[in-house]
Amino acid sequence: MLDDQQGQVRTPDRALVERMAGGDERALGALYDRHGEMAYCLALAVARERADAEEIVADAFGQVWRNAASYDPGRGSVAGWLATITRTRALDLVRARGRRARAMERAAQADGAGLASPMGAPAEPPDLRIERGEARRLVARSLGDLPEQQRRVIELAYFGGLSQSEIAVELQEPLGTVKTRMRAGMQKLRGSLAALLSGGGS
Amino acid sequence: MTDHQWSELAAPYALGALAPDERERFEAHLAECAACRGEVRELREVTVLLADAAPAATPPAGLRDRILREARQTRPIRRSRAQIIPWLAAAASLVLALGLGYGYLRERAALRQSSAALAATTDSLAARDSIIATIFSPDVVTAALAATGKPPSARLFWNLSRRRVVMAVFQLPPASAGRTYQLWAIAQGKKPVSLGVFNTAADGRVTAAMEVPPGLTFELTAVTEEPAGGSPQPTQQPFLIGKVIPAD
Repeated sequence: MLDDQQGQVRTPDRALVERMAGGDERALGALYDRHGEMAYCLALAVARERADAEEIVADAFGQVWRNAASYDPGRGSVAGWLATITRTRALDLVRARGRRARAMERAAQADGAGLASPMGAPAEPPDLRIERGEARRLVARSLGDLPEQQRRVIELAYFGGLSQSEIAVELQEPLGTVKTRMRAGMQKLRGSLAALLSGGGS
Repeated sequence: MTDHQWSELAAPYALGALAPDERERFEAHLAECAACRGEVRELREVTVLLADAAPAATPPAGLRDRILREARQTRPIRRSRAQIIPWLAAAASLVLALGLGYGYLRERAALRQSSAALAATTDSLAARDSIIATIFSPDVVTAALAATGKPPSARLFWNLSRRRVVMAVFQLPPASAGRTYQLWAIAQGKKPVSLGVFNTAADGRVTAAMEVPPGLTFELTAVTEEPAGGSPQPTQQPFLIGKVIPAD
C-alpha cells in the first residue's frame, strides 16, 4: 500500500485519521472513498461472498473509526492498517462460520489463473487513484512473476488464512517443501516490491 | 534452535502461517532478537502489499452510507489521561495485593461459570500490526505479570520511544458481560495511571496494544477487573501484577 496521498492537494490519510479521532464523520467518508474498494476487494478475496465482504468492510471501518486515536503512523500507512484489520476480520468470519474447508477448496480451485491474474481492468474511475493503480499493477505483476508453486503457497496463506501445515495437506506436498517455497517466494517479492517498501525509496 | 533456523520463521510469521505454538515461540524469540525483528518488519510490509493483489470488485453502493450511519452511533474511543486520584500505595502493598488477588480470582472463577458461553469479540486481535511494530524495537522493556505463580499470566512489552505497550495475556477467562479488564501503570509512590482496557478471547488469551501517556514512567504494572469502559481509578485490587525489567 502506498501512502500515495503525499504531495497531492488532498489531505494525507493520517490527517483524516486524526480528524476521525476527533469525531469527524466526513473524514471517515473520505477515507472510505480512498480505500473502501481496496478493503472490499481484499475482504471478498478472503471471504468469497459479497454479503460477507460487505459485513467485514463495515466492521473494519467501524474499528478504524473507534480506534482512530490509537493509530500510530510509525507502524505503517493507514491503508496498511486498514488492510490488516480487514484481513483479520475476514479470516475470523470465515473461521467462525466453519467455511474454512470451503474457502480452502475454492482457493485450491483458483489454480491456473490464481488470484494474481484477474487484475486487468479495475472497476474504478480511471482518473482516480492512479498511483494506487500503479502499485496494484506492480504487486500483481510481482506475484504473477513468481514460480507458480511459490505464488500458490503465499496466496493460500494470505487470502486463505492457512498455516504452513494446512497448506502442505492442501497441496499434498511435504511440509519442508511448503516452507521452502514460502520463504523463497516472499524473498523474491521483497526484491521486486522494493520500490513500494519504506526501505526501498520512492 | 540456531539463529538461522529462527530467521526462517520470519516469512511464515509475517504471513500469519505459523502454527499457534510455533508462533508463540517465535514471538518470544522476537522480543530478544533485533535481527529477526527487522526481518519481520520488512516482510510485514510485503504482506500488507498483497492486499492489492486481490481481484478487482466493486463495493455495493450502500456500503459507504452504512459505514457512516454506524459511525454516528459509536463515538471514537478517547484516550483517557492520567487521573490523579489517591489509591492504595500499590507498589508498597505488592504482597497484600497478591494475596487479595488470589481470593478475588477464586470468586471470579465462580462468576465465570455462569458466563462461560460468552464468546470473546474479534476485536482482541485487531491491532496485530501495531503490536508487531511495538515489540520490534531495541528500546523495549518487559514485565512478567503473574498471580502468585498461578494462571492467569501476562507479559508486557513497553516500547519507550513509541510510548506504547503491548500486553500478551494467557489463561484469563473473558470478563463477564458489562465488565472489562484494565491495565495500570504504577510508579513508585504514585497513583496508578490507566493504560487502557482489554478483554480476552474465549481461549483466555489476548494481545493488546495501548498508548503510554507522555512523560509517564512506571516500575510496576497491574491488571484489575472494572465495569465496562474502564474506571478512572482502580475499583478492585489487582489480580495480576508485575515488575518492569529495564532494558540491558
